[in-house]
Amino acid sequence: MTLNILFRRAFSDIKQNAGTQTVTTIVVTLSLLIFVFFSFLYFNLERFVGHFGRELGIVVYLKKDLAPDRIPAVFATLQKMEGVKSVTYVSPEEAYYRLESYLKDEVNILDGVEPGFLPPSFELEIDRALFQLTRIKELAEKIARWPEVDKVQYGQEWLHRLEAFSHLTKMVVAAGGVLLLLSAVFVVASTIKLTVYARQEELEILRLVGATNSFIQGPFLIEALLQGLIGSSLAVGIIYAMYTYTKPMLAGSQLLRGLDYQFLPYTFWAPVIGVTTLACIVGTLFSMRRFLKL
Amino acid sequence: MLTAETPIISFQGVSKKYPPNHLVMSDVNLEIEKGELVFLTGQSGAGKTTLLRLLFRAELPTSGKIIVDGMDLSSLSRSQVPYLRRKIGVIFQDFKLLSNKSVFENVALSLEVLGLRKEQVKKRVCQVLEGVGLGHKMHQYPPQLSGGEQQRVSIARAVVNRPPIILADEPTGNLDKLRTAEVMLLMHELNARGATILFATHDERLYQDSPGRVLRLESGKVEVVS
Repeated sequence: MTLNILFRRAFSDIKQNAGTQTVTTIVVTLSLLIFVFFSFLYFNLERFVGHFGRELGIVVYLKKDLAPDRIPAVFATLQKMEGVKSVTYVSPEEAYYRLESYLKDEVNILDGVEPGFLPPSFELEIDRALFQLTRIKELAEKIARWPEVDKVQYGQEWLHRLEAFSHLTKMVVAAGGVLLLLSAVFVVASTIKLTVYARQEELEILRLVGATNSFIQGPFLIEALLQGLIGSSLAVGIIYAMYTYTKPMLAGSQLLRGLDYQFLPYTFWAPVIGVTTLACIVGTLFSMRRFLKL
Repeated sequence: MLTAETPIISFQGVSKKYPPNHLVMSDVNLEIEKGELVFLTGQSGAGKTTLLRLLFRAELPTSGKIIVDGMDLSSLSRSQVPYLRRKIGVIFQDFKLLSNKSVFENVALSLEVLGLRKEQVKKRVCQVLEGVGLGHKMHQYPPQLSGGEQQRVSIARAVVNRPPIILADEPTGNLDKLRTAEVMLLMHELNARGATILFATHDERLYQDSPGRVLRLESGKVEVVS
Protein backbone atom coordinates (compact mmCIF):
# COMPACT_ATOMS: atom_id res chain seq x y z
CA MET A 1 0.00 0.00 0.00
CA THR A 2 1.48 3.32 -0.99
CA LEU A 3 0.97 6.81 0.39
CA ASN A 4 -0.24 7.70 -3.06
CA ILE A 5 -3.33 5.48 -2.64
CA LEU A 6 -4.04 6.84 0.85
CA PHE A 7 -3.83 10.45 -0.34
CA ARG A 8 -5.98 9.66 -3.37
CA ARG A 9 -8.62 8.10 -1.13
CA ALA A 10 -8.38 10.97 1.36
CA PHE A 11 -8.95 13.60 -1.34
CA SER A 12 -11.75 11.56 -2.87
CA ASP A 13 -13.39 11.35 0.61
CA ILE A 14 -12.96 15.08 1.13
CA LYS A 15 -14.65 15.72 -2.19
CA GLN A 16 -17.52 13.34 -1.43
CA ASN A 17 -18.03 14.47 2.17
CA ALA A 18 -17.29 18.14 1.56
CA GLY A 19 -20.11 19.29 3.86
CA THR A 20 -18.99 17.30 6.91
CA GLN A 21 -15.35 18.15 6.27
CA THR A 22 -16.17 21.86 6.11
CA VAL A 23 -18.23 21.73 9.31
CA THR A 24 -15.42 19.97 11.19
CA THR A 25 -12.87 22.50 9.94
CA ILE A 26 -15.15 25.38 10.97
CA VAL A 27 -15.59 23.85 14.43
CA VAL A 28 -11.80 23.63 14.77
CA THR A 29 -11.47 27.24 13.59
CA LEU A 30 -14.13 28.59 15.96
CA SER A 31 -12.81 26.69 18.98
CA LEU A 32 -9.28 27.88 18.30
CA LEU A 33 -10.43 31.39 17.44
CA ILE A 34 -11.66 32.00 20.99
CA PHE A 35 -8.46 30.58 22.44
CA VAL A 36 -6.15 32.52 20.12
CA PHE A 37 -8.13 35.74 20.64
CA PHE A 38 -7.94 35.33 24.40
CA SER A 39 -4.20 34.62 24.20
CA PHE A 40 -3.71 37.62 21.95
CA LEU A 41 -5.45 39.86 24.46
CA TYR A 42 -3.46 38.44 27.35
CA PHE A 43 -0.20 38.75 25.42
CA ASN A 44 -0.80 42.45 24.82
CA LEU A 45 -2.10 42.99 28.33
CA GLU A 46 1.08 41.47 29.66
CA ARG A 47 3.17 43.75 27.47
CA PHE A 48 1.10 46.74 28.56
CA VAL A 49 1.38 45.92 32.23
CA GLY A 50 5.05 45.02 31.81
CA HIS A 51 5.74 48.39 30.24
CA PHE A 52 3.73 50.09 32.94
CA GLY A 53 5.57 48.24 35.65
CA ARG A 54 9.02 48.94 34.24
CA GLU A 55 9.12 52.15 36.24
CA LEU A 56 8.27 50.25 39.34
CA GLY A 57 11.43 49.90 41.34
CA ILE A 58 13.00 50.35 44.76
CA VAL A 59 14.72 53.48 46.03
CA VAL A 60 17.28 52.81 48.75
CA TYR A 61 18.24 55.91 50.78
CA LEU A 62 21.58 55.61 52.51
CA LYS A 63 22.40 57.20 55.84
CA LYS A 64 23.73 60.74 55.43
CA ASP A 65 26.68 60.05 57.68
CA LEU A 66 27.72 56.90 55.81
CA ALA A 67 31.41 56.84 54.92
CA PRO A 68 31.79 57.33 51.12
CA ASP A 69 34.12 54.30 50.89
CA ARG A 70 31.22 52.03 51.98
CA ILE A 71 29.07 53.05 49.01
CA PRO A 72 30.79 50.81 46.37
CA ALA A 73 30.36 47.76 48.63
CA VAL A 74 26.62 48.42 49.00
CA PHE A 75 26.40 48.99 45.23
CA ALA A 76 28.09 45.63 44.57
CA THR A 77 25.83 43.77 47.02
CA LEU A 78 22.70 45.30 45.46
CA GLN A 79 23.83 44.33 41.96
CA LYS A 80 24.27 40.71 43.00
CA MET A 81 20.78 40.40 44.45
CA GLU A 82 18.41 38.06 42.64
CA GLY A 83 15.74 39.83 40.59
CA VAL A 84 17.62 43.13 40.46
CA LYS A 85 18.02 44.14 36.84
CA SER A 86 20.04 47.32 37.28
CA VAL A 87 21.33 49.62 40.04
CA THR A 88 21.82 53.36 39.58
CA TYR A 89 23.64 55.47 42.12
CA VAL A 90 22.12 58.89 42.78
CA SER A 91 24.55 61.18 44.59
CA PRO A 92 23.21 63.98 46.86
CA GLU A 93 24.16 66.48 44.14
CA GLU A 94 22.34 64.53 41.44
CA ALA A 95 19.31 64.29 43.72
CA TYR A 96 19.44 68.04 44.27
CA TYR A 97 19.54 68.76 40.52
CA ARG A 98 16.61 66.42 39.95
CA LEU A 99 14.67 68.24 42.65
CA GLU A 100 15.49 71.54 41.05
CA SER A 101 14.21 70.46 37.66
CA TYR A 102 11.09 68.95 39.29
CA LEU A 103 10.28 72.19 41.09
CA LYS A 104 10.72 74.26 37.92
CA ASP A 105 9.15 77.68 38.67
CA GLU A 106 9.09 76.99 42.41
CA VAL A 107 12.86 76.48 42.51
CA ASN A 108 13.37 79.51 44.74
CA ILE A 109 12.11 77.35 47.64
CA LEU A 110 15.59 75.87 47.63
CA ASP A 111 17.29 79.23 48.16
CA GLY A 112 19.90 78.95 50.90
CA VAL A 113 19.80 75.18 50.90
CA GLU A 114 23.09 73.39 50.36
CA PRO A 115 23.21 71.09 47.26
CA GLY A 116 24.39 68.17 49.42
CA PHE A 117 21.52 68.20 51.93
CA LEU A 118 19.78 65.16 50.35
CA PRO A 119 20.97 61.66 51.22
CA PRO A 120 22.76 59.49 48.65
CA SER A 121 20.54 56.79 47.21
CA PHE A 122 20.34 53.82 44.87
CA GLU A 123 17.56 53.24 42.32
CA LEU A 124 16.90 49.57 41.70
CA GLU A 125 15.20 48.34 38.55
CA ILE A 126 13.55 44.98 39.10
CA ASP A 127 13.36 42.34 36.43
CA ARG A 128 9.69 41.89 35.28
CA ALA A 129 8.74 44.05 38.24
CA LEU A 130 5.00 43.76 37.92
CA PHE A 131 5.11 40.02 37.92
CA GLN A 132 7.32 39.93 41.02
CA LEU A 133 5.44 42.17 43.36
CA THR A 134 5.96 39.90 46.33
CA ARG A 135 9.66 39.77 45.48
CA ILE A 136 9.88 43.59 45.53
CA LYS A 137 8.33 43.67 48.97
CA GLU A 138 10.71 41.01 50.27
CA LEU A 139 13.75 42.76 48.77
CA ALA A 140 12.73 46.11 50.21
CA GLU A 141 12.25 44.67 53.68
CA LYS A 142 15.60 42.88 53.52
CA ILE A 143 17.53 45.96 52.35
CA ALA A 144 15.85 48.13 54.99
CA ARG A 145 17.50 46.05 57.68
CA TRP A 146 21.04 46.84 56.47
CA PRO A 147 23.00 49.19 58.79
CA GLU A 148 24.01 51.46 55.87
CA VAL A 149 20.41 52.04 54.87
CA ASP A 150 18.25 54.80 56.24
CA LYS A 151 14.98 54.17 54.38
CA VAL A 152 13.58 52.10 51.52
CA GLN A 153 10.72 53.23 49.28
CA TYR A 154 8.88 51.10 46.78
CA GLY A 155 5.44 52.66 46.32
CA GLN A 156 3.84 50.39 48.91
CA GLU A 157 0.25 51.59 48.65
CA TRP A 158 -0.33 51.25 44.91
CA LEU A 159 1.95 48.26 44.82
CA HIS A 160 -0.48 46.37 47.02
CA ARG A 161 -3.40 47.35 44.81
CA LEU A 162 -1.49 46.31 41.72
CA GLU A 163 -0.54 43.09 43.40
CA ALA A 164 -4.19 42.23 44.01
CA PHE A 165 -5.16 43.20 40.45
CA SER A 166 -2.28 41.25 38.91
CA HIS A 167 -3.13 38.20 41.00
CA LEU A 168 -6.77 38.28 39.95
CA THR A 169 -5.89 38.78 36.27
CA LYS A 170 -3.48 35.85 36.36
CA MET A 171 -6.13 33.61 37.94
CA VAL A 172 -8.82 34.63 35.45
CA VAL A 173 -6.47 34.19 32.48
CA ALA A 174 -5.23 30.80 33.67
CA ALA A 175 -8.70 29.45 34.49
CA GLY A 176 -10.23 30.88 31.30
CA GLY A 177 -7.39 29.54 29.18
CA VAL A 178 -7.66 26.04 30.62
CA LEU A 179 -11.45 26.00 30.22
CA LEU A 180 -11.28 27.24 26.65
CA LEU A 181 -8.61 24.76 25.73
CA LEU A 182 -10.55 21.88 27.30
CA SER A 183 -13.78 22.88 25.60
CA ALA A 184 -11.96 23.23 22.27
CA VAL A 185 -10.46 19.74 22.60
CA PHE A 186 -13.85 18.30 23.63
CA VAL A 187 -15.74 19.93 20.75
CA VAL A 188 -13.14 18.87 18.20
CA ALA A 189 -13.01 15.28 19.54
CA SER A 190 -16.83 15.03 19.52
CA THR A 191 -17.09 16.36 15.99
CA ILE A 192 -14.48 13.89 14.75
CA LYS A 193 -16.29 11.09 16.57
CA LEU A 194 -19.55 12.03 14.84
CA THR A 195 -17.78 12.14 11.48
CA VAL A 196 -16.36 8.66 12.05
CA TYR A 197 -19.75 7.44 13.28
CA ALA A 198 -21.45 8.81 10.16
CA ARG A 199 -19.08 6.74 8.04
CA GLN A 200 -19.47 3.56 10.07
CA GLU A 201 -21.03 1.74 7.11
CA GLU A 202 -18.05 2.56 4.95
CA LEU A 203 -15.67 1.22 7.62
CA GLU A 204 -17.70 -1.99 7.84
CA ILE A 205 -17.52 -2.52 4.07
CA LEU A 206 -13.81 -1.76 3.97
CA ARG A 207 -13.19 -4.37 6.66
CA LEU A 208 -15.34 -6.82 4.72
CA VAL A 209 -13.28 -6.50 1.54
CA GLY A 210 -10.06 -7.11 3.45
CA ALA A 211 -8.76 -3.65 4.20
CA THR A 212 -6.06 -3.50 6.86
CA ASN A 213 -6.42 -1.10 9.78
CA SER A 214 -3.78 1.22 8.37
CA PHE A 215 -5.59 1.31 5.01
CA ILE A 216 -8.85 2.26 6.76
CA GLN A 217 -7.27 4.76 9.15
CA GLY A 218 -4.88 6.38 6.67
CA PRO A 219 -7.32 8.65 4.81
CA PHE A 220 -9.13 9.58 8.06
CA LEU A 221 -5.81 10.63 9.59
CA ILE A 222 -4.87 12.64 6.49
CA GLU A 223 -8.28 14.34 6.68
CA ALA A 224 -7.78 15.04 10.42
CA LEU A 225 -4.34 16.48 9.69
CA LEU A 226 -5.79 18.81 7.07
CA GLN A 227 -8.74 19.79 9.27
CA GLY A 228 -6.43 20.61 12.19
CA LEU A 229 -3.91 22.44 10.02
CA ILE A 230 -6.43 24.46 8.03
CA GLY A 231 -8.77 25.05 11.01
CA SER A 232 -6.07 26.33 13.34
CA SER A 233 -4.27 28.32 10.62
CA LEU A 234 -7.56 30.03 9.80
CA ALA A 235 -8.06 30.92 13.47
CA VAL A 236 -4.57 32.42 13.69
CA GLY A 237 -5.09 34.12 10.32
CA ILE A 238 -8.38 35.72 11.40
CA ILE A 239 -6.78 37.14 14.56
CA TYR A 240 -3.85 38.40 12.47
CA ALA A 241 -6.26 40.09 10.08
CA MET A 242 -8.04 41.65 13.05
CA TYR A 243 -4.68 42.83 14.39
CA THR A 244 -3.61 44.46 11.10
CA TYR A 245 -7.05 46.06 10.74
CA THR A 246 -7.15 47.52 14.26
CA LYS A 247 -3.47 48.49 14.57
CA PRO A 248 -3.75 51.81 12.66
CA MET A 249 -6.88 52.68 14.66
CA LEU A 250 -5.18 52.10 17.99
CA ALA A 251 -1.89 53.72 16.97
CA GLY A 252 -3.15 57.14 18.00
CA SER A 253 -4.83 55.98 21.17
CA GLN A 254 -3.94 57.87 24.33
CA LEU A 255 -4.10 54.64 26.28
CA LEU A 256 -1.49 52.89 24.15
CA ARG A 257 0.83 55.85 23.57
CA GLY A 258 4.38 54.71 23.55
CA LEU A 259 3.40 51.07 23.76
CA ASP A 260 3.82 48.21 21.35
CA TYR A 261 0.57 46.66 20.11
CA GLN A 262 1.86 43.42 18.72
CA PHE A 263 0.72 40.15 17.19
CA LEU A 264 1.41 36.88 18.94
CA PRO A 265 4.97 35.67 18.37
CA TYR A 266 5.50 32.65 16.10
CA THR A 267 6.84 30.78 19.14
CA PHE A 268 3.23 30.85 20.37
CA TRP A 269 1.10 30.41 17.25
CA ALA A 270 3.26 27.80 15.53
CA PRO A 271 2.98 25.37 18.49
CA VAL A 272 -0.77 26.13 18.72
CA ILE A 273 -1.19 25.03 15.09
CA GLY A 274 1.04 22.03 15.70
CA VAL A 275 -0.72 20.93 18.88
CA THR A 276 -4.18 21.39 17.33
CA THR A 277 -3.21 19.32 14.30
CA LEU A 278 -1.79 16.65 16.57
CA ALA A 279 -4.94 16.76 18.76
CA CYS A 280 -7.11 16.22 15.67
CA ILE A 281 -5.00 13.24 14.59
CA VAL A 282 -4.96 11.70 18.09
CA GLY A 283 -8.71 12.39 18.46
CA THR A 284 -9.39 10.57 15.19
CA LEU A 285 -7.21 7.64 16.24
CA PHE A 286 -9.13 7.31 19.50
CA SER A 287 -12.51 7.77 17.80
CA MET A 288 -11.69 5.03 15.31
CA ARG A 289 -10.35 2.53 17.81
CA ARG A 290 -13.83 1.23 18.61
CA PHE A 291 -14.71 0.75 14.94
CA LEU A 292 -11.53 -1.04 14.07
CA LYS A 293 -12.00 -3.96 16.40
CA LEU A 294 -12.09 -7.02 14.21
CA MET B 1 -0.12 -26.63 2.19
CA LEU B 2 -3.41 -27.22 0.42
CA THR B 3 -3.49 -30.30 -1.82
CA ALA B 4 -6.09 -31.21 -4.43
CA GLU B 5 -7.84 -33.43 -1.90
CA THR B 6 -7.78 -30.99 1.00
CA PRO B 7 -11.19 -29.34 1.47
CA ILE B 8 -11.10 -25.57 0.99
CA ILE B 9 -13.57 -25.17 3.88
CA SER B 10 -13.62 -27.44 6.89
CA PHE B 11 -15.74 -27.31 10.05
CA GLN B 12 -14.54 -29.66 12.78
CA GLY B 13 -16.91 -30.06 15.73
CA VAL B 14 -18.00 -26.41 15.54
CA SER B 15 -20.53 -25.08 18.04
CA LYS B 16 -21.84 -21.57 18.34
CA LYS B 17 -23.78 -20.32 21.30
CA TYR B 18 -25.07 -16.78 21.90
CA PRO B 19 -25.57 -15.55 25.43
CA PRO B 20 -27.32 -16.34 27.62
CA ASN B 21 -27.92 -19.84 26.28
CA HIS B 22 -29.01 -19.75 22.65
CA LEU B 23 -27.38 -22.62 20.76
CA VAL B 24 -27.24 -21.92 17.00
CA MET B 25 -24.78 -24.63 15.92
CA SER B 26 -23.94 -27.81 17.73
CA ASP B 27 -20.92 -29.94 16.87
CA VAL B 28 -21.06 -29.21 13.14
CA ASN B 29 -18.70 -31.17 10.90
CA LEU B 30 -18.60 -30.07 7.29
CA GLU B 31 -16.20 -30.17 4.39
CA ILE B 32 -16.46 -28.28 1.11
CA GLU B 33 -14.14 -29.08 -1.75
CA LYS B 34 -12.49 -26.52 -3.97
CA GLY B 35 -14.73 -25.51 -6.89
CA GLU B 36 -17.92 -26.85 -5.30
CA LEU B 37 -21.26 -25.10 -5.42
CA VAL B 38 -23.05 -25.70 -2.15
CA PHE B 39 -26.51 -24.49 -1.22
CA LEU B 40 -27.13 -23.94 2.45
CA THR B 41 -30.78 -23.96 3.31
CA GLY B 42 -32.90 -23.83 6.41
CA GLN B 43 -35.62 -21.75 7.97
CA SER B 44 -35.09 -18.13 8.97
CA GLY B 45 -33.08 -18.07 12.19
CA ALA B 46 -31.65 -21.56 11.57
CA GLY B 47 -28.11 -20.14 11.60
CA LYS B 48 -27.25 -19.83 7.90
CA THR B 49 -25.96 -16.28 8.28
CA THR B 50 -24.06 -17.27 11.44
CA LEU B 51 -22.31 -20.06 9.55
CA LEU B 52 -21.24 -17.63 6.83
CA ARG B 53 -20.13 -15.02 9.37
CA LEU B 54 -17.98 -17.64 11.05
CA LEU B 55 -16.25 -18.25 7.72
CA PHE B 56 -15.11 -14.65 7.18
CA ARG B 57 -14.39 -14.33 10.88
CA ALA B 58 -16.99 -11.75 11.68
CA GLU B 59 -17.64 -14.10 14.60
CA LEU B 60 -15.71 -16.77 16.43
CA PRO B 61 -17.06 -20.26 17.22
CA THR B 62 -17.77 -21.13 20.85
CA SER B 63 -15.87 -24.37 20.29
CA GLY B 64 -14.41 -26.40 17.42
CA LYS B 65 -12.10 -25.62 14.56
CA ILE B 66 -12.72 -23.89 11.21
CA ILE B 67 -10.17 -24.06 8.41
CA VAL B 68 -10.52 -21.87 5.32
CA ASP B 69 -8.07 -22.29 2.44
CA GLY B 70 -5.46 -23.61 4.85
CA MET B 71 -5.99 -20.91 7.51
CA ASP B 72 -7.06 -22.03 10.95
CA LEU B 73 -9.50 -19.29 11.98
CA SER B 74 -9.29 -20.07 15.69
CA SER B 75 -5.60 -19.18 15.81
CA LEU B 76 -5.79 -16.33 13.32
CA SER B 77 -4.50 -13.02 14.70
CA ARG B 78 -6.44 -9.79 14.17
CA SER B 79 -3.83 -8.50 11.78
CA GLN B 80 -4.26 -11.59 9.58
CA VAL B 81 -8.05 -11.26 9.28
CA PRO B 82 -7.87 -8.82 6.31
CA TYR B 83 -5.78 -11.38 4.41
CA LEU B 84 -8.40 -14.08 5.07
CA ARG B 85 -11.13 -11.76 3.81
CA ARG B 86 -9.27 -11.11 0.58
CA LYS B 87 -9.74 -14.81 -0.17
CA ILE B 88 -13.50 -14.56 0.33
CA GLY B 89 -16.01 -12.55 -1.64
CA VAL B 90 -19.21 -11.89 0.30
CA ILE B 91 -22.59 -11.02 -1.22
CA PHE B 92 -25.43 -9.81 1.00
CA GLN B 93 -29.18 -9.64 0.62
CA ASP B 94 -29.08 -5.88 1.34
CA PHE B 95 -26.16 -5.33 -1.11
CA LYS B 96 -24.09 -3.23 1.35
CA LEU B 97 -23.08 -0.65 -1.24
CA LEU B 98 -21.89 2.86 -0.42
CA SER B 99 -24.50 5.22 -1.78
CA ASN B 100 -22.10 8.19 -1.97
CA LYS B 101 -19.65 6.27 -4.15
CA SER B 102 -20.16 5.46 -7.81
CA VAL B 103 -20.61 1.92 -9.11
CA PHE B 104 -16.99 1.99 -10.27
CA GLU B 105 -15.71 3.19 -6.86
CA ASN B 106 -17.75 0.59 -4.97
CA VAL B 107 -16.24 -2.23 -7.02
CA ALA B 108 -12.75 -0.70 -6.99
CA LEU B 109 -12.66 -0.83 -3.16
CA SER B 110 -11.82 -4.55 -3.24
CA LEU B 111 -8.80 -3.89 -5.45
CA GLU B 112 -7.61 -0.71 -3.75
CA VAL B 113 -7.14 -2.58 -0.47
CA LEU B 114 -4.70 -4.84 -2.33
CA GLY B 115 -2.60 -1.81 -3.25
CA LEU B 116 -3.07 -2.21 -7.00
CA ARG B 117 -2.15 0.66 -9.28
CA LYS B 118 -4.82 2.98 -10.62
CA GLU B 119 -4.54 1.66 -14.18
CA GLN B 120 -4.78 -1.98 -13.04
CA VAL B 121 -7.81 -1.17 -10.90
CA LYS B 122 -9.52 0.60 -13.77
CA LYS B 123 -8.88 -2.27 -16.19
CA ARG B 124 -10.16 -4.99 -13.88
CA VAL B 125 -13.18 -3.08 -12.61
CA CYS B 126 -14.26 -2.30 -16.17
CA GLN B 127 -13.85 -5.96 -17.16
CA VAL B 128 -15.93 -7.21 -14.24
CA LEU B 129 -18.63 -4.58 -14.68
CA GLU B 130 -18.89 -5.50 -18.36
CA GLY B 131 -19.14 -9.12 -17.22
CA VAL B 132 -22.16 -8.41 -15.04
CA GLY B 133 -23.71 -6.21 -17.72
CA LEU B 134 -23.18 -2.88 -15.98
CA GLY B 135 -20.30 -1.44 -18.00
CA HIS B 136 -22.50 1.43 -19.15
CA LYS B 137 -23.57 2.35 -15.62
CA MET B 138 -20.19 2.50 -13.88
CA HIS B 139 -20.41 6.24 -13.23
CA GLN B 140 -23.88 6.06 -11.73
CA TYR B 141 -24.57 5.84 -8.01
CA PRO B 142 -26.31 2.89 -6.27
CA PRO B 143 -29.56 4.79 -5.54
CA GLN B 144 -29.90 5.37 -9.29
CA LEU B 145 -29.92 1.60 -9.97
CA SER B 146 -32.62 -1.07 -9.67
CA GLY B 147 -32.39 -3.76 -6.97
CA GLY B 148 -31.12 -6.33 -9.48
CA GLU B 149 -28.47 -3.94 -10.76
CA GLN B 150 -27.35 -3.13 -7.23
CA GLN B 151 -27.00 -6.83 -6.48
CA ARG B 152 -24.91 -7.26 -9.63
CA VAL B 153 -22.64 -4.42 -8.41
CA SER B 154 -22.36 -6.25 -5.09
CA ILE B 155 -21.41 -9.45 -6.96
CA ALA B 156 -18.87 -7.53 -9.05
CA ARG B 157 -17.30 -6.17 -5.86
CA ALA B 158 -17.17 -9.67 -4.36
CA VAL B 159 -15.44 -11.25 -7.37
CA VAL B 160 -13.27 -8.48 -8.80
CA ASN B 161 -10.22 -9.58 -6.81
CA ARG B 162 -10.79 -13.18 -7.97
CA PRO B 163 -11.25 -14.79 -4.56
CA PRO B 164 -11.27 -18.60 -4.43
CA ILE B 165 -14.38 -18.58 -2.18
CA ILE B 166 -17.67 -16.75 -2.59
CA LEU B 167 -20.23 -16.58 0.19
CA ALA B 168 -23.71 -15.47 -0.79
CA ASP B 169 -26.19 -14.70 1.96
CA GLU B 170 -29.72 -14.73 0.49
CA PRO B 171 -28.51 -12.67 -2.48
CA THR B 172 -31.85 -12.94 -4.27
CA GLY B 173 -33.99 -12.22 -1.23
CA ASN B 174 -34.88 -8.71 -2.41
CA LEU B 175 -35.17 -9.47 -6.12
CA ASP B 176 -38.01 -10.37 -8.46
CA LYS B 177 -38.09 -13.58 -10.52
CA LEU B 178 -36.28 -12.16 -13.55
CA ARG B 179 -33.50 -10.50 -11.51
CA THR B 180 -33.15 -13.68 -9.47
CA ALA B 181 -32.57 -15.67 -12.64
CA GLU B 182 -29.88 -13.17 -13.71
CA VAL B 183 -28.08 -13.47 -10.39
CA MET B 184 -28.27 -17.28 -10.47
CA LEU B 185 -26.81 -17.30 -13.97
CA LEU B 186 -23.88 -15.18 -12.74
CA MET B 187 -23.30 -17.51 -9.80
CA HIS B 188 -23.18 -20.55 -12.07
CA GLU B 189 -20.75 -18.76 -14.40
CA LEU B 190 -18.46 -17.93 -11.47
CA ASN B 191 -18.63 -21.53 -10.26
CA ALA B 192 -17.84 -22.77 -13.76
CA ARG B 193 -14.69 -20.62 -13.67
CA GLY B 194 -13.53 -22.45 -10.54
CA ALA B 195 -14.87 -20.44 -7.61
CA THR B 196 -16.10 -22.31 -4.56
CA ILE B 197 -19.56 -20.98 -3.75
CA LEU B 198 -21.52 -21.33 -0.55
CA PHE B 199 -25.00 -20.02 -1.25
CA ALA B 200 -27.36 -19.52 1.67
CA THR B 201 -31.04 -19.40 0.77
CA HIS B 202 -34.42 -20.48 2.12
CA ASP B 203 -35.91 -20.50 -1.39
CA GLU B 204 -35.86 -24.14 -2.54
CA ARG B 205 -36.69 -23.19 -6.15
CA LEU B 206 -33.14 -21.87 -6.50
CA TYR B 207 -31.47 -25.24 -6.00
CA GLN B 208 -34.14 -27.65 -7.21
CA ASP B 209 -32.84 -27.95 -10.77
CA SER B 210 -29.35 -26.73 -10.06
CA PRO B 211 -26.14 -28.72 -9.87
CA GLY B 212 -24.35 -28.76 -6.51
CA ARG B 213 -24.83 -30.11 -3.03
CA VAL B 214 -27.65 -28.98 -0.79
CA LEU B 215 -27.16 -28.83 2.96
CA ARG B 216 -29.87 -28.08 5.47
CA LEU B 217 -29.19 -26.36 8.78
CA GLU B 218 -31.72 -27.41 11.36
CA SER B 219 -31.71 -27.46 15.14
CA GLY B 220 -28.03 -26.55 15.12
CA LYS B 221 -27.01 -29.51 12.93
CA VAL B 222 -26.10 -29.73 9.23
CA GLU B 223 -27.89 -32.41 7.21
CA VAL B 224 -27.18 -33.38 3.62
CA VAL B 225 -30.32 -32.93 1.51
CA SER B 226 -28.87 -33.91 -1.86
